[in-house]
Amino acid sequence: MATTFSASVSMQATSLNVGGLNENASCIDEQQVTTTRISFQKPVLVSNHGRTNLSFNLRRTRLSISCAAKQETVEKVSEIVKKQLSLKDDQQVVAETKFVDLGADSLDTVEIVMGLEEEFGIEMAEEKAQKIATVEQAAELIEELMQAKK
Amino acid sequence: MVDKSQVIGLCRSLLRAGRQYPDYNIREYAKRRTLDGFRMNKNLTDHSKVEEAYAEGKKQLEIVERVVKVYSAYPPKTKNIMELKLQ
Repeated sequence: MATTFSASVSMQATSLNVGGLNENASCIDEQQVTTTRISFQKPVLVSNHGRTNLSFNLRRTRLSISCAAKQETVEKVSEIVKKQLSLKDDQQVVAETKFVDLGADSLDTVEIVMGLEEEFGIEMAEEKAQKIATVEQAAELIEELMQAKK
Repeated sequence: MVDKSQVIGLCRSLLRAGRQYPDYNIREYAKRRTLDGFRMNKNLTDHSKVEEAYAEGKKQLEIVERVVKVYSAYPPKTKNIMELKLQ
């Protein structure tokens, strides 16, 4: 019998354990011979070709990149970057965006970092500031410094 | 031999020093001037010119640091209107 599932489902007579994927979790990709529960993020067709014991390999359906910085920090950083580089409002700036991809050279990066320092009231050390290349790195460093300040 | 990271470091130091002025006008000018100055000389290839520009920058850094101390002795009594946030 063939069955389709959406969202999370529990099914008997199957031995599989698949970890659900979400933004902040690391992906668990195991296949264990245990009882029942399957949960899929996407609808998947599972067919039991007349066998009672069904087990199959599922590769990672989606690679999750764990984001160590808070979303609001990333958003604030993106706002400042957009303003500094005079980008259009619909230009997408996410955590992984590199400054060079937005058309910034090293001087623009220095300016952005200065703007971030002013906005969050922190001081970045020279060596650390030079390494910043993406929005993600900037947000992480900012959070580190804000934690240290408290 | 002046390399890129030194130049970036100098730019950062100048920007940081310029931030300390209590007077809004001078503060904004310092920031504007350093960025313009560095951008103007961004494409220099002749090494002696690069060294010259770097030395000039270092001199200006000393000046800024000295003048910040003088200006801080007599800070303005009121905030400049440009510094007030829009209500």
